[in-house]
Amino acid sequence: MFDKILIANRGEIAIRIIRACRELGIKTVAVYSDADRTSLHVAMADEAYNIGPPPPTESYLSIEKIISVAKRSGADAIHPGYGFLSENHLFAEACEREGIVFIGPSSEAIRLMGDKITARRIAQEARVPLVPGSDGAVSDVEAEVIAKKIGYPVMIKASAGGGGKGMRLVRREEDFKSSLRMARSEARSAFGDDSVYIEKFIERPRHVEIQIIGDAYGNILHLFERECSIQRRHQKVIEEAPSPAISPRTRKRMGEVAVRVAKAVSYRGAGTVEFILDQNENFYFLEMNTRIQVEHPVTEMITGFDIVKWMIRIAAGEKLTLTQEDISIRGHAIECRVYAEDPERNFLPSPGKLEYVRTPGGPGIRDDSSIYSGCEITPFYDPMLSKLIAWADTREEAIKKMRNALREYIVLGVKTNIGFLRRVMENEEFIKGEFDTGFIDRHPELLSPSVDTQNLEPALVAAAVAMKDSTKKEEGKTEQGPVSYWKLFGRKIAVMRNQLI
Amino acid sequence: MMLTFKFRDQIYRVSMEEGDQTEIEIESKRIPLEFRKIDGNFYSIIVEGKSIGAGILRKGRNIQVFIDGDLFEFEAISERERAKAKGGASGTQEIKAPMPSRVVKILKREDEEVEEGEGVIVIEAMKMESELKSPMEGKIREVRVKEGDTVESGVVLVVISPNEASQ
Repeated sequence: MFDKILIANRGEIAIRIIRACRELGIKTVAVYSDADRTSLHVAMADEAYNIGPPPPTESYLSIEKIISVAKRSGADAIHPGYGFLSENHLFAEACEREGIVFIGPSSEAIRLMGDKITARRIAQEARVPLVPGSDGAVSDVEAEVIAKKIGYPVMIKASAGGGGKGMRLVRREEDFKSSLRMARSEARSAFGDDSVYIEKFIERPRHVEIQIIGDAYGNILHLFERECSIQRRHQKVIEEAPSPAISPRTRKRMGEVAVRVAKAVSYRGAGTVEFILDQNENFYFLEMNTRIQVEHPVTEMITGFDIVKWMIRIAAGEKLTLTQEDISIRGHAIECRVYAEDPERNFLPSPGKLEYVRTPGGPGIRDDSSIYSGCEITPFYDPMLSKLIAWADTREEAIKKMRNALREYIVLGVKTNIGFLRRVMENEEFIKGEFDTGFIDRHPELLSPSVDTQNLEPALVAAAVAMKDSTKKEEGKTEQGPVSYWKLFGRKIAVMRNQLI
Repeated sequence: MMLTFKFRDQIYRVSMEEGDQTEIEIESKRIPLEFRKIDGNFYSIIVEGKSIGAGILRKGRNIQVFIDGDLFEFEAISERERAKAKGGASGTQEIKAPMPSRVVKILKREDEEVEEGEGVIVIEAMKMESELKSPMEGKIREVRVKEGDTVESGVVLVVISPNEASQ
């Protein structure tokens, strides 16, 4: 087993990995940019090193800096988390070259699956169903011809894409040119590559994905599916497992197909095979993510399988001790991603200082977050504040738990999507499990609280209390604080050092 | 003490009296009230046996109240401002940068006409592009930025004036 692991990430996932390392008795090394000196992952790790200015390209995306910290600190492995360098095959390659273990698949598997067009070809060879579309990147002219041939609506997608960036839905031929321009421009600024491909758009699709895990000895298991259809701007906000939309038969077939895709690239570590599901339970391969997913906790909750710990064990050369038959689904789990964003302004990010945070709790509630009262949400990184996860015996109970947990959550200082998430948990269609990726667009009423809400009166009372309490504070604000113990402590250390010298 | 709050363009008046006990009057109902700050910005308020747990943050005249997962943003306004607010708007409207961002594309030029809800400018923040739309039908009077500019939150990007016909 490893002695020390460097975590090339920040935020909640860095903390999730630190916790897994602690349980395995492994020391942890954090890296941080100038904007993250006061981030929680830094305080929680055993060692921490600054890797430069806030823009990711100068810190968290710098292969050179991260490898150099790994060597300096004597880390024998690197966990990349999600985002940043996690799906960069050059980074995995650099680790391989330097004799540092990259906790994830081979650089080769990352490279093959990272290119969406190659991934499609591999899936095709593995007899995996595919959505009709262009065979690879296309020129502007080709794009329009293919779009016309497969018929509108079509999707334009960035070849190097992910997370909804560089992606556009086009319903009418006359909108095609402008959408193509937007998609290319977004792809260029997000990935430095503006090549795009075209795909048939499936009406009222669901997004369902299979978690897989493979060891270095060719054993690959699937850990069932996650339903990720509740999306805004093509990015997931609510995920759950199992999916309320598929039959046990489809579940079994989907799992088998996902394992087949993973086997085609001799996959090692945790990965996700994403599918699009139509209204008749037909599913088509979308892409494979060669990293830990944001939404992995829902799978952990229903299977009891600790994915992050197993990623580390597998990277250290351990064999999977379970077989497919050992893994079963118990209960139901839902995850809500809490973001600093404004649902009323098209989910625009809302960076700023979190003046106050109060976190929910209780049986079956898990809060994977990195926030605290007083922490700063900077505009440099993803504005996710927390992943709130609820587990219960049934889906209905899990929804109730989530609804209550969201009512307990308090975040002051920035706008959040907490109220929006709670309203989704109260929505009839969601409760019935009848939804698809267009859910949010079809329910604009969920974006803002109705004005005749029953909480307006209590809120007014609270506002009056705010006015009164702050006036009172200003009156009695002259007393001197107690002697700082930190100062005394500092002096004591200084004195002791002098004696030693 | 008479307090006036604005919430989504609606005015609400709350009167708060202090004797042996704090009392609150909402829409001519007088209710006794008691409150304690219990943790940071978290308050426990009891109104006739009804308990309210709320996160409260005051920044000058802006008050954020967080109850049951919903954020209520109030603006405390004085009597004088209330009278002035009845005056009415001058006609032009501004599109401001909602957060620190970069101008990616300007979709409308000066003197071009726009519909309400039509995209005027594309900005990028946190690696996400978003299109800012015109709040009204009219004509672009002024574009104050150019593509590639980095702007701070609140900076006016575009000024829109009403069409002559509609004036």
